[in-house]
Amino acid sequence: MRHPCSFLPHRPLLAVFLALSLWAGQPKMLTAQSTSPSLDLFSGVDFNFRDINFNTQYEFLIRLSPGFKWDMGHHWQLAGQVMIPIVNQYGDGTRYVQLNMLNVSKELQLGQLYLKGTAGLFSEVLTQNRYGLDLKAFWPLCDWFAFEGQAGWVGIVIMNSDWFISPMDRYAWTAGADIYLSKWNTQLRFSGGKYLYQDYGYEIEAMRHFNHTTVSVYGLWNNVNYFDAGFRVVIALPPYHRKHRTVNFRPASNWRMSYTTMYHIFTNRMYCTDPEENERDGWFSRDLLQWGSHTMQPDFIYKTTNTNETP
Amino acid sequence: MRHLNIYIIITIATLALLPLLGNAQQYTGTSGMAHIPTGEMHHEGDAFIGAHFLNKSMMPDTGFLYPANGGEKYNTFDYYLALAPFSWLELSFVCTERIRSKDAQGNITKWSKDRYASVKIQPLKEGKHHPAIAIGCNDFATAAFYEDRPDVQLYFLNWYVASTKHFNFSGNEIGLTLAYRYFFRDYNSKWNGIVGGITFRPSFFPEARLMAEYTGNEFITGMDVLLWQHLRLQASLKNFKYFYGGACLQFNLLGKKYQY
Repeated sequence: MRHPCSFLPHRPLLAVFLALSLWAGQPKMLTAQSTSPSLDLFSGVDFNFRDINFNTQYEFLIRLSPGFKWDMGHHWQLAGQVMIPIVNQYGDGTRYVQLNMLNVSKELQLGQLYLKGTAGLFSEVLTQNRYGLDLKAFWPLCDWFAFEGQAGWVGIVIMNSDWFISPMDRYAWTAGADIYLSKWNTQLRFSGGKYLYQDYGYEIEAMRHFNHTTVSVYGLWNNVNYFDAGFRVVIALPPYHRKHRTVNFRPASNWRMSYTTMYHIFTNRMYCTDPEENERDGWFSRDLLQWGSHTMQPDFIYKTTNTNETP
Repeated sequence: MRHLNIYIIITIATLALLPLLGNAQQYTGTSGMAHIPTGEMHHEGDAFIGAHFLNKSMMPDTGFLYPANGGEKYNTFDYYLALAPFSWLELSFVCTERIRSKDAQGNITKWSKDRYASVKIQPLKEGKHHPAIAIGCNDFATAAFYEDRPDVQLYFLNWYVASTKHFNFSGNEIGLTLAYRYFFRDYNSKWNGIVGGITFRPSFFPEARLMAEYTGNEFITGMDVLLWQHLRLQASLKNFKYFYGGACLQFNLLGKKYQY
């Protein structure tokens, strides 16, 4: 069992980086991910489409998704995001600018257990948000097998044409396991539990990680709508070589699409606690958790320009 | 004589596309020839996004919302996403457009789509003395739930086993394919049975491929080509008369570059 506060043995690459930085005060250094306190301002595009209407084959909802992440150091983070509709064929509920996320989170490592706690406003689906508390856990048993879990205590917030806030009266949780086959950069994920709309179910997903792209197929079951299946695509967006400053303006780290065959969007549903959350990166920072796709070549190579920055 | 002239014109026009105009059963995004599957596979990491014009002669004989078109078959198109996550596995997701309604003037007012997923597995790679063998299925997901229900329309449901062997002559490549294919529904049963084809990839322009195939009911001649490593075009003629073709963008997600 490793000591909870042990630091360098867990992250040899980071240790090398630190040692080299202190040794020479290198003016420019390539790192997989900077850990300096910083503010990132970014924007992506939230692309939605559906085919559920006999009169219109496809309906689109395209929104700009500007957001920020203030990395306060020691894996404390304040994050926020706004949705700005550009093309809206989903009706009145999505025609407003919407605060999509605003929360504070903390990641930490306790021995082999990785935890992430988040409090604040979470994004959910289209017009609806959640607020409350969330705890995520990841427990890698070895290089190829890990347990994961998530638990939330939340209430509903609606902030567009109507204003509505419910008490924090809803509990949701999932638990599961991950298998990572490093030779093929393939990840198998199973999780099940009680979801946000109080349905019970499980989901199985097979992910293939490529350079800058992850494609997965999934199947799921729940006690309301029974079976569904689909696929997901996560693409890390360029530029892949970036400079790291105290304040950074950049595109969103990724573009994610999740296709569901049956459009059962209110089952097997959990919220997101990070504006750039995706299946490729998982829940935890790359510099904290070296498991799964985090053992691959990083998507982004950061070049630090400030010699006074302390990682 | 008139038909012969048309044939010559179409053939010349098609051949003229060659320099502008791969290996794909491209209307599904998976590897193969124009309409029949082969034992070949795409390269690991190859991803495709494309669209294909489908001549009405290649569509199912009944169903497919033909009553909305006065009971007549019609030309349409499909679009697809496809991926080879491994060198032995291909997956694709295809949407084929259907006419849902027309107005009094005969203009199409509504479309709908038919969706299906395809899978192809290659258990045996091509060797010096043996062919590559692949098995696959279109619309396997729907079939898993509804194959035994005649009221559920499974327009493109079929499974197949295909073998392909290549031979090189002075840098030119000839491929021979023999396959068995079975469609589950009567409206496509004309394509059941033994199918096969031959391909030719010239040494001076290996990005292009000429092909001739027998689908079980008709002959198809055609060609496809990969341009600038990302644009794949395919053009073919059924029975030397009916055009059938499409285009797709191709990327290798592992960052590898292939000539074709």
